[in-house]
Amino acid sequence: MNDEKPLLKAPHWGANVTTYLFLGGIMGGLGLIQLLCDPRDESMRKLRRTTRIASFLLAAVNPPILISHLGRPERFLHMMRIVKLKSPMSVGVWGLVLYSGAAGANMVRELAQSGVLPSWMRHFAPHALTFAQAVLGAFTAGYTGVLLSATAVPLWAAGKRHIPAASISSGAASACALASLLSVIEGNHEACVKTERLEMVASAVEFAILMDFRRVSGDYGKPMFEGPRAEKFRTVTLIGGIAVPIALNLLGQILPLPKPVDAARTVVASVLTLLGGYVLRETFIESGKASAAVRQTAISQPT
Amino acid sequence: MGRGGATAWVPDLANADCILIQGSNFAEAHPVAFRFVMQAKERGATIIHIDPRFTRTSALADIFAPIRSGTDIVFLGALVSWLIENKRYFHEYVSAYTNASFVVRQDFQDTDDLDGLFSGWDAASGSYDTTSWDFERDAQGQIVTDETFEHPRCVLNVLRRHYARYTPEMVENTCGIPVATFTHIAEILAANSGRERTTAFAYAVGWTQHSSGVQFVRCSALVQLLLGNIGRPGGGIMALRGHADIQGATDIATLYDLLPGYLPMPSALRTESTLAEYLASNQKKTGWWANMPKYVVSQLKAFYGKAATPENDFCFSYLPQLIGDHSMLPTTFAMKDGNVRGYFVIGQNPGASGQNAELVRSAMERLEWFVNIDSFENETSSFWNREGADPSTIATECFFLPAATVLEKEGTMTQTSRMLQWHDKALEPAGTSKTDLWYFYELGKRLKALYADSSDEKDRPILDMTWEYDDPDEPGEPGEPSARKVLQEINGYVTATGEQVASFADLKDDGSTASGVWIYTGVFPDATTNRARSRVGDDSTSLGWGWAWPANRRTLYNRASADPLGRPWSERKKYVWWDETKGEWTGVDVPDFPKTKAPDTPAIAGASGMDAHSGADPFIMLAQGRAQLFVPAGELKDAPIPAHYEPLQSPIHNALYAQEVNPMMRQWRRPDNRYNDSPHDYPYVLTTYRITEMSGIMTRYIPWLAELQPEAFCELDPELAVEKGIRNGEYMVISTALGEMEAKALVSGRMRPLRINGKRVHQIGIPYNYGRMGFARGDSPGELIALSMDPNVSIHESKSLTCNIRAGRRAPLATPDIEMAVPAQMRTTIGESVAHGAQ
Amino acid sequence: MATGFFTDTTLCIGCKACEVACKQWNELPSDGFSFTGDSYDNTVELSGTTWRHVAFVEQIAATPDGVEDRWLMSSDVCKHCENAGCLEACPTGAIIRNEFGSVYIQPDVCNGCGYCVVSCPFGVVDLIDSLGGTAKYSTANLQESRLDASKTALAHTGGVAGKCTLCYDRQTLGMVPACAKACPTDSIQFGDVATLRERAKERVTTLHARGETSAQLYGADDIGGGIGTLNAFFLLKDRPSVYNLPERPVLPSTRQPDGYAAAAVIAVGLAIAGWAIFRSA
Ligand SMILES: Nc1nc2c(c(=O)[nH]1)N[C@H]1C(S)=C(S)[C@@H](COP(=O)(O)OP(=O)(O)OC[C@H]3O[C@@H](n4cnc5c(=O)[nH]c(N)nc54)[C@H](O)[C@@H]3O)O[C@H]1N2
Ligand SMILES: Nc1nc2c(c(=O)[nH]1)N[C@H]1C(S)=C(S)[C@@H](COP(=O)(O)OP(=O)(O)OC[C@H]3O[C@@H](n4cnc5c(=O)[nH]c(N)nc54)[C@H](O)[C@@H]3O)O[C@H]1N2
Ligand code: SF4
Ligand code: SF4
Ligand code: SF4
Ligand code: SF4
Ligand code: SF4
Ligand SMILES: [Mo]
Repeated sequence: MNDEKPLLKAPHWGANVTTYLFLGGIMGGLGLIQLLCDPRDESMRKLRRTTRIASFLLAAVNPPILISHLGRPERFLHMMRIVKLKSPMSVGVWGLVLYSGAAGANMVRELAQSGVLPSWMRHFAPHALTFAQAVLGAFTAGYTGVLLSATAVPLWAAGKRHIPAASISSGAASACALASLLSVIEGNHEACVKTERLEMVASAVEFAILMDFRRVSGDYGKPMFEGPRAEKFRTVTLIGGIAVPIALNLLGQILPLPKPVDAARTVVASVLTLLGGYVLRETFIESGKASAAVRQTAISQPT
Repeated sequence: MGRGGATAWVPDLANADCILIQGSNFAEAHPVAFRFVMQAKERGATIIHIDPRFTRTSALADIFAPIRSGTDIVFLGALVSWLIENKRYFHEYVSAYTNASFVVRQDFQDTDDLDGLFSGWDAASGSYDTTSWDFERDAQGQIVTDETFEHPRCVLNVLRRHYARYTPEMVENTCGIPVATFTHIAEILAANSGRERTTAFAYAVGWTQHSSGVQFVRCSALVQLLLGNIGRPGGGIMALRGHADIQGATDIATLYDLLPGYLPMPSALRTESTLAEYLASNQKKTGWWANMPKYVVSQLKAFYGKAATPENDFCFSYLPQLIGDHSMLPTTFAMKDGNVRGYFVIGQNPGASGQNAELVRSAMERLEWFVNIDSFENETSSFWNREGADPSTIATECFFLPAATVLEKEGTMTQTSRMLQWHDKALEPAGTSKTDLWYFYELGKRLKALYADSSDEKDRPILDMTWEYDDPDEPGEPGEPSARKVLQEINGYVTATGEQVASFADLKDDGSTASGVWIYTGVFPDATTNRARSRVGDDSTSLGWGWAWPANRRTLYNRASADPLGRPWSERKKYVWWDETKGEWTGVDVPDFPKTKAPDTPAIAGASGMDAHSGADPFIMLAQGRAQLFVPAGELKDAPIPAHYEPLQSPIHNALYAQEVNPMMRQWRRPDNRYNDSPHDYPYVLTTYRITEMSGIMTRYIPWLAELQPEAFCELDPELAVEKGIRNGEYMVISTALGEMEAKALVSGRMRPLRINGKRVHQIGIPYNYGRMGFARGDSPGELIALSMDPNVSIHESKSLTCNIRAGRRAPLATPDIEMAVPAQMRTTIGESVAHGAQ
Repeated sequence: MATGFFTDTTLCIGCKACEVACKQWNELPSDGFSFTGDSYDNTVELSGTTWRHVAFVEQIAATPDGVEDRWLMSSDVCKHCENAGCLEACPTGAIIRNEFGSVYIQPDVCNGCGYCVVSCPFGVVDLIDSLGGTAKYSTANLQESRLDASKTALAHTGGVAGKCTLCYDRQTLGMVPACAKACPTDSIQFGDVATLRERAKERVTTLHARGETSAQLYGADDIGGGIGTLNAFFLLKDRPSVYNLPERPVLPSTRQPDGYAAAAVIAVGLAIAGWAIFRSA
């Protein structure tokens, strides 16, 4: 009887927090991409503009998502009362705010440069912000993992290195996927080739991290890698969101496909990667809930 | 032992070296008092619990022994036998303070001679002629004694023979307690008694709610007397009283056959039409009760004031006279049979907590009117729209009067240590609620007004009744009677001056004093001192905390805490002793003995009152001043020495006698009160009890309590559950010949099947606290238990029954068949014959 | 001077007076009426609306005479940790350490993010949903007044973290916490933690001397995992896990450096890879 009793409290988080973490990862990845773009190259300039606009828009929707979780808008402001380095949630929110600032400024510059906004506004953002957005982006993507792993939830705690690492690589892969998708829509095929290459690297790294996590996590990892939830994780993230897009992207790199077909290939690969990224976060959250209910792992918590 | 309260007081349990808890789930039903058991345990005392179930009390005990419900006399009797045979009793105490040396009459015949009956059994009337249950007297009328305990008919030897067959093996085969456990417990009890050490016993309704309930308790007294533990610190028998003021309720006579202060109710069955006749049949000539006339007359003065004069017998004739057994159970049958017109139910919920609860509820359909004073609507007040009933066919006129709760009124409560404690009002009564006191005061005032113009002689009791409890000095609700004034009258006053009486020793039998309840005299000793209010505690007896009757004594018969010469039995157990220099009894308690009567004072042969006792006779309320190992004629109806009978409904045959059940118990064999006569159909033992989290409707309506035990449940052992396909947490049905109930199964190894004479006996248990209303609800075992009762105090047998069980749920209740034909000879009239007996 | 609890489970009689006293004083709502079948425990766990929970553990031995049977009872509560996971995690500063050394949630500051919930290694704190959700009992039967009484304290909050306050309000008035006050057997002892610790150690020595060798303290000394000592510590009769307490609790924040480091390594790696890819023609 007693064996069934939960010891730890399950997270109260659902789709909105999953989305928040997912978008945080993409934002982070976009921050990196906008840094990598060499503005001397036309296609790269286009990609930089797209990623900067996208990253700001994503940064802008994240607070409302958080608010939807907290219930009331003013509650978001409570987060701003203090800065607490020990609390990933606190530093994360501040990271997000700073990131939004950098992304916003960079977007303004971008829009000023392309004439949408008055050109004096290009001075709005110094060059250093390009780098800053990248660093803040890395932080934003990484903290979503630390946020989980610095808790008592046994699965998350056991993944104290893997989950942040997976979050950031998945964030990068998803960001590349989004960038590829937007580039295809824009007709920026040159950019697409590069983002897809980077996506393959990031996805491969993510895959390796997740496999290693599976190997080392033992009982703590069971709620994620075994049972009903594992099925969805395997099909949507590991196969559908990593293996298949890698294969498709490889195909795109090797085979000279006709343009429309190639565009379709990119769309499919990108959507799959994004879906896989979302389901990875969902898997973390939902398996985390299941993990909190496993008494044995709660009794002897991961160090 | 002569008083209607526990001999001990709760905090004194902390001074015990061993506590035997049997017939009570102390920790669960008396959690606050259990604090003192824990203190004793921390000081090194051994705690023993004997119960059919392993409960929260067992969990804290050092030794737990499971027992088959209803067999305690076998266990206790075996202890008596073991103590006598092994000479482990406290010899000096037994010989000086008990009637062990008294020689029993020659014509007394014991159960071994008559296979379960005592001499004097009259099968026709179903009762005993108890004349032979007495002592041999010499030519002067003095009791013949043998201090050497050699006379074969001296009480000790009568006990020895009576209990000779109550062996450890008999305990194992009847109670299910292994021989080794029995002897282990016996050793511990003996080792923790005597001069240096004391053992306390604690029991409650696990011992009383049986067809031989009184004898269970009696048998424990035998053991405690043999061990020399009565009247001593850390000793005694702690009768744990139930509801907050249940002690007060018995003191001030809610029982039909008692007047306040344990004075017998006049009875038409004896010739008691005048005060003299009443005293002649009830007053004991020797011992403290010789003072009875003072208490009766003072009470009549309190009742009838100036109207009560020596010339008119102090209005003795105003008192009602008993014409039979008017206790609750027979009255319920009479009501069902259409012989009761009106019913007041005040602060009780027999529709859920009563036995054969459906009989109770359907009986109410036969009433003309029904008044319910309660703080909640409960299963009794809502009998007319209960599951299955058709309100359109019920003609009873019902009145519901909302009662203020304890927090909304002031007054005293008398708790289990016989202690009165005053409580103040914390809140105004909710809504239109009134205090119970207000309802009664108002009823009295209105009756007086209605009869004001009557000159009819039979209306005099109402007109002459003293009824002045207004107090202009006390601010409060207009018309609210003063609880203080009531307590002052209970305490008593000098009729001429109105001055308060300080002690019951000052009460007179000439009408110069009035006192409502003599045992409470002293609680309000002068106009301004309400000792129930005092709150001065200390590390010892805390005589300044509250006020305990009688005379603020904490341990009764505490004269026995000193040896016959008046010296403490030991330094360790020093309590009350004779102070040679001052020439008086002294100690940490109020001595329960004439203050200046020296230990060497001889008894005066033929004298009356206290002079008939010597200075070494501690049991002042008893005629001989000695505790009664053998109860002489007339005091108990069913046995002078406890004998084991099986419960009325038992799966086991009586291993000791051919007489299966208590021959004197009351049974009602009627279609609406069916017993399980076939053990084959009802093979399991069922017991009922309460749980900490629940009381009755009050707790069921409090969300914070209701959530803790949210549904009626039934405890059973895993083996039985598997056998019957019952799953933990799921519904099961419990059935008897009377009916069915459902409950959630709580399968636990705490319930354990017993081996009785080679037969596997399963016991199940159900809390009685549930009913069909409230947040926490469920069926009550009252639906299963047919009414039957003990002959001495009319208690129902709700602790030992038989039943059958199955997985699943019961059928919805159908329309009750209140017109069920009950043959004329089975019907009950009001006040049916008091002679009970086998049918 | 920090105050706290020494909960001596050897004295607990499982009466649940502590649970009820806490709910009453703090005007917490009932959690609904469902029978668990788990011994006498229908409360199950500490929650946002249940700040004391009495655990019942049946240890029924196989001996036929039943003498070895044990039924352990223990009243659980927030540990008021020296290094409290909940306090560290709280992003709003709602959780503070007050003047009594207790870990205290300021309900008006809390924004209901739920991060403390997953950061308590003992599974203590939880979110209180908006009351409509938690109050599971049928209002049709409940007298309005009583329903209101059990709601008032929370009425202005709705969606905050809830746990034992160590009766901060009572302490400021010099009163003993409600649960300790109600405990009939002194199983819950309240006072200066240092004094309580000494008393607890003496008590263990006594119990060991009596032969109760399995008696052990939980949280009186550093419990490990970076948590330090507990201001509400326990004397147990068996291993902590028997009472559903973690044997090896870990302060979650200790994992952060590793997490950030791993994230940084991957970030840098991907940046280099990206640089290589993007700068190539
Ligand atoms: N929480 C709570 N406390 C209460 C009450 C309540 O309703 N709720 N009610 C109060 C009242 S009115 C009363 S009278 C007291 C009663 O107080 P108790 O008598 O202590 O309470 P019960 O639970 O009825 O019964 C005691 C025990 O007797 C056991 N028992 C049953 N049959 C036998 C038997 O044949 N022999 C022995 N040795 N044991 C047996 C039962 O298993 C049970 O554990 O409690 C009072 N205290
Ligand atoms: N099977 C089985 N049956 C049993 C028992 C058992 O052990 N087993 N135990 C028996 C025992 S010992 C007892 S004492 C009885 C108890 O049985 P009841 O006396 O019927 O018990 P309660 O449910 O406590 O009912 C008390 C009633 O008083 C009301 N009340 C409370 N305070 C006040 C007040 O101040 N004024 C008024 N007017 N009303 C008030 C409550 O609302 C409630 O309706 O049950 C007996 N029934
Ligand atoms: S309910 Fe009242 S009388 Fe019973 S133990 Fe609790 S405080 Fe004492
Ligand atoms: S036990 Fe949990 S909720 Fe309590 S102080 Fe420690 S971390 Fe916080
Ligand atoms: S739920 Fe409230 S108390 Fe808990 S971490 Fe969030 S803000 Fe702090
Ligand atoms: S200290 Fe107060 S808030 Fe904490 S459990 Fe005890 S009663 Fe509840
Ligand atoms: S009040 Fe005390 S004895 Fe009762 S359950 Fe709580 S801790 Fe145990
Ligand atoms: Mo009772």
